[in-house]
Amino acid sequence: MLINILETAFNLIITLNNDLFEIIHLSLKVTLSALIISVLISIPFGAFLVFYKNKFQSLIVLIANTLMGMPPVVLGLLIYTLVSKKGIFGFLDILYTPSAMILAQTLLIVPIVVSLTYEEIYKKNKEYDLLLNSLNLDKLSKLKTLIYESRYALITVALTGFGRASAEVGAVMIVGGNINHFTRVMTTAIAFETSKGSIELAVALGLILILISFIITLLIKSLRKIS
Amino acid sequence: MNILPLKINNLSYSANDNEILKNINFSCAEPKVTIIAGNNGSGKSTLLKILHGLIKTPNNVIQWGNYFISEVKEKQSMVFQTPILLNRTVYDNLHYVAIKKNITEKNYIEKIMRKLNIKNISNINAKYISGGEKQKVSIAMSIIGNPKIIFLDEPTSQLDPVYKNEIESIIRNLSNNNIKIFMTSHDVSQIKRIGEEIIFLDNGRVIYQKCVKDFFSEEHCDLIKNYINYA
Repeated sequence: MLINILETAFNLIITLNNDLFEIIHLSLKVTLSALIISVLISIPFGAFLVFYKNKFQSLIVLIANTLMGMPPVVLGLLIYTLVSKKGIFGFLDILYTPSAMILAQTLLIVPIVVSLTYEEIYKKNKEYDLLLNSLNLDKLSKLKTLIYESRYALITVALTGFGRASAEVGAVMIVGGNINHFTRVMTTAIAFETSKGSIELAVALGLILILISFIITLLIKSLRKIS
Repeated sequence: MNILPLKINNLSYSANDNEILKNINFSCAEPKVTIIAGNNGSGKSTLLKILHGLIKTPNNVIQWGNYFISEVKEKQSMVFQTPILLNRTVYDNLHYVAIKKNITEKNYIEKIMRKLNIKNISNINAKYISGGEKQKVSIAMSIIGNPKIIFLDEPTSQLDPVYKNEIESIIRNLSNNNIKIFMTSHDVSQIKRIGEEIIFLDNGRVIYQKCVKDFFSEEHCDLIKNYINYA
C-alpha cells in the first residue's frame, strides 16, 4: 500500500500536477515574502541592539528570545483577534487572505532573526571592536562593517527563519482558513488532505517539504563551512 | 599639526573596582621608539589603549601638543598583540582601511604592500595567512594614512625569530621616518635592539623613565634587576 501511495505521489510531482504546484507556488510566495520582510526589519534591528546599550536592550533581547519559542497557534489566534472584523485592524480586511498568512509568518520569524542576528553581531563586535574603534569609525560605519563581516552567518539565520516559516501550520491555518486555490499552502494542505483520506497528494507535498528542508540544511551546512 | 610633546598629568584608571593605573605622570617629546615595559598586569596595554583613546579618560589628563586625544586620533593607529583582520583578502583589508581614511590615491595599497613585502599574499583571505604575515598586514593597515604615532602592543610576542627580525626592521624604518612609536614588550633583547626610551610600570605606577642605554647600565631596585635578568 505504501509503495502504491509513494508511486502516485511521485507521479503527481513528475507530471507537474496543477493543484500540487499551485499549492507549492503559494507556499513559497507566502514564506519568501514573510522572510524578506522580516530580514529587512530584523537584521538592522538586531544589529542596532548591540550598540543600543541601556536597560531596554536586554529587555528587548529577552522578549525576542521568549517569542522565539512562541507556539504558532497562539500567534495565529492573536493575529486572528487583531484582523478579524471586530478586531483593531479589522478595517484592513485581510483575514483569510495570503496577506494575513504573510503577516503571521513574518511575526513568527522576526523574533528568531532578531535574536540570532543580535548574537552574531555581538560576537563580531567583540572580535572587531578594538580595530573599528582604533579606526575612529562612527556607529553606522561600524554597524555596516559588522553586518558585512557576519554575512554568511546572517544568511544562515535567514535560512533558519525560512525553515521555521515553511514548516509552520497552526498560524496560517487560523488566519488563512486553508481556502482551496486561495490560501491553501503545503502544510495546511497536508493536514487537510490527510483528514479527508486523500493521502497521495499529502505525501507528495510532504516529499516536497522534506526536499526543501534538505536543501536548507545543505545550504546552512555549506555556509557554516565558508563562514 | 604638531602633536608632540605628549603630556600625561595624574592619570589614574580603574575598572571593576580594580585600580589599574595610579597617578601616572610623564612626558615624551621626541619622535623615537618608546618602550613601555613591566611585568604582566602592570598596566602596559591599558596605558596604550588610553593613549590611543580606546579607553576614555577626562580630557585634561592627556595632551598631545595642544590637542586632546579626540582631535589627534586620526593621526594615530594601533597594532594589537593578536592581529585583528577582517574576513576578506589581504588586499581588501588594506582597501577597507584606505577607504575609511578617505585615501583615493591610485596604487596607494600596492605601494604599502611593496613596502612591507606582502604583495605575494594580497589575494589570500587574511584568515589563512601565517601569524607573522598577519602581523605584517596589521602593521600595513596601521601605516595607511601616514599616522604620526603608532602604538604596538607586543607585536612580536607570538612570532618566530625570522618574523621578529623583519617586524623590528619595519619598526626601525617607521621610526626613522619620524613616526613616534609606543611599544609594549617583554623581550629584553628586543628592548635593547630597538628601544630608545623606556617607561617601566609596576602595579600601575611609573617607576622608571629614561633612555634605554641608561636602563641597562644603571643600578636598579630588585624588581627591575629581576626583569632585566629573567624577562
